[in-house]
Amino acid sequence: MANDEGVIYEYVWIVIVSAIVAGMAASLAYYGIALDLNPACNATPIDVGTLTENFQPGVKQLGPGIYQVNILAGQFFWNPNKIVLEDPVRIEFRITSKDVVHGFEIVGTNVNVMVIPGYVAEFVWEPPKNAEGKYLIICHEYCGVGHQFMQAELEIKRTNTLLSGDSIGTTDDLGKFSEVKYLEFKGVIVDEG
Amino acid sequence: MRVNEELFAKITIAFSFVIMAVGGTFGLLQALNRVPFLSLPGALEVSDSTYYRILTCHGVCLAVAIPIYWITGLAAFISPRILKVELDKRLLALSLAMMLVGGVMATIVILAGKANVLYTFYAPMTAHPGFYWGAALLILGSWVFIAAFVKQYLQWRRLNPGVGTPIAIYGLLATFIVWIEATTPLVITVLKDFIPMSMFGKHVDVLETRTWFWFFGHALVYFWLLPVVAMWYYLIPKKLGVPLFSESMAKVAFILFILASTPVGLHHQFTDPGLAAEYKFMHTILTLIVATPSMLTGFNILATMERGGRARGGNGLLGWLAKQPWKDPVYLGLVTSMIIFGIGGITGIINASYQLNMVVHNTAWVPGHFHMTVGNMVVIGYTAITYALLADLFKRKLISKTAAYSHILLWSIGLFIFSLAYYYVGLHGAPRRTSNIEYGGLLPSTWILPMEISAIGAILMFSGGVAAVYAVLGSLLFGKTKGVAIEGMKIGNPHPETTEFNPLLENLKMWVIFAAVLIIVAYIFPFYEIFSRGISPVPPVETGLS
Repeated sequence: MANDEGVIYEYVWIVIVSAIVAGMAASLAYYGIALDLNPACNATPIDVGTLTENFQPGVKQLGPGIYQVNILAGQFFWNPNKIVLEDPVRIEFRITSKDVVHGFEIVGTNVNVMVIPGYVAEFVWEPPKNAEGKYLIICHEYCGVGHQFMQAELEIKRTNTLLSGDSIGTTDDLGKFSEVKYLEFKGVIVDEG
Repeated sequence: MRVNEELFAKITIAFSFVIMAVGGTFGLLQALNRVPFLSLPGALEVSDSTYYRILTCHGVCLAVAIPIYWITGLAAFISPRILKVELDKRLLALSLAMMLVGGVMATIVILAGKANVLYTFYAPMTAHPGFYWGAALLILGSWVFIAAFVKQYLQWRRLNPGVGTPIAIYGLLATFIVWIEATTPLVITVLKDFIPMSMFGKHVDVLETRTWFWFFGHALVYFWLLPVVAMWYYLIPKKLGVPLFSESMAKVAFILFILASTPVGLHHQFTDPGLAAEYKFMHTILTLIVATPSMLTGFNILATMERGGRARGGNGLLGWLAKQPWKDPVYLGLVTSMIIFGIGGITGIINASYQLNMVVHNTAWVPGHFHMTVGNMVVIGYTAITYALLADLFKRKLISKTAAYSHILLWSIGLFIFSLAYYYVGLHGAPRRTSNIEYGGLLPSTWILPMEISAIGAILMFSGGVAAVYAVLGSLLFGKTKGVAIEGMKIGNPHPETTEFNPLLENLKMWVIFAAVLIIVAYIFPFYEIFSRGISPVPPVETGLS
């Protein structure tokens, strides 16, 4: 133990450290539970051998502003590699890989998910109201020698202009990116890619 | 050949600086080639396939090989001098042979372009079996060394009942306990999944192998840095000539590292689909807990420095700071590494903060963070401690104090510039591990200037690295023999004050059992989730490049 004069400071510091840690943990718990702000956690196993029959890449509109976007990743492409959405409010992504691990990132947003072969990643993105224009989609996990060529484009069109558009790569407004426990899919997935 | 402690330490420590020269050169090439729209002279320009090849080598050599060699070397040299008990010579010889053969084998396979899988080697990418066998041999060789170390410690304990473990030895024991915690899952998955995948085409579940990997991957970083922490506790009071502010607080910090450094791996997998939010959050809390020993350490060392500075005549609120022995490169390096670790550690808290991770996961922010920690704190720490070892171990005088100062200054400033630039572009979404981030000209313009600045940082770092390699290898090759230990830095007896025996803190067996329980609790749920859902194996994908 420290000399007697030091012991008191030691205990004071331990209390301060514990308070810092407890404060950080509490704020993360608040955002996770109260605001439902969690990383993507849902996945459904899929047999990579039967992807062509069981997974159709493409965009499907489920309702006003509600889209389902199925994306297939592979060395070194995203399919579809151009996605156009009009006034999206809620985008349900389903993404899987036909070969190795890839990383799905829409630059300038909070959309950031690992794409793991054998599993379909399922998550929802509610784009901020001022999200507009073309967004760059990249692969952020090394997937082979052509990794740097793997890119796609998401275009958000606003027919009822709410705010002036953001261009690629801005982080001014962070999208709310929440986990959805049960995703239900109705109807046939239409390939528009 | 008879391998005694000194020969073992000489070979491993000198070898780790040779590797540093190679891996560091690759690092410079990567930093330059990543700058968008920069045309480099032909000799410096690398193709995409070469980029990933040298990136794999940079990661494996600097993150895995150097720490293993350097730490075992430090322990082999320092522990017999403090404990006055010898290490088992046969185990030393076996360990050295395994580590050298394994390390060289993996490096040859990587440089031959047969293992472009990066240091994380995520399945189902597959490398030549020599890569996995080499890595396994390197790690198992370090286990053999640990067996010798533990045997020595237990022998000392029998001879010295009721004596508190000297803090340097306590720190090294914590280092090796964490290393066993970390590498056990790695060895399991390499033997069970990766070697069969690479040799016989076994299909493996990628989510499962990623979870095994990160079970290892985060505890690894504590293996890198714990010996530096142990040497802060050992050498800083020694140099100042005052006792450590609180030895029990230091031991509590090491126990917290033993408990919480391993059950935190899911914070590398926050964005992995297929792992439930609850488990990710549990690992978040444990990660925050593992920040506490670092905060205790910072307090303890600063309080010791204050006490030392005041004993040397420093008055007033901050006068003690001016009275530190800054002219000693070892001391300067140790304190610099601690300050940098503070900054790097705080940015690590951001990565680990669950929701915030979505903004920075797999972006350039991450290399910004770990270059600040392992690249900066660990490299400066290892090198500064090596300066202290030159006289005692190699019987050489430090060839140039200027080179040693230049190394500490150029390296830390260069790395600061590099890391800040990477933090910035990372927040703007620039990816890590990508040879070229131009994306056909579609990259955000905010990426360009910071990437250019990062290259300047890398050049400064490289100059600092040249100074470090010159100071260490130059002293070995051309330094004056019969070196004199830098005053106060002679490795030997523990500090006279370090004799108090606290049964709770000395009962490491109990803390290891607690750590094992915590690890099982933290990992049983994610593995249950993976296996109960039914694993989904996929075939291997070759990445061998021509």
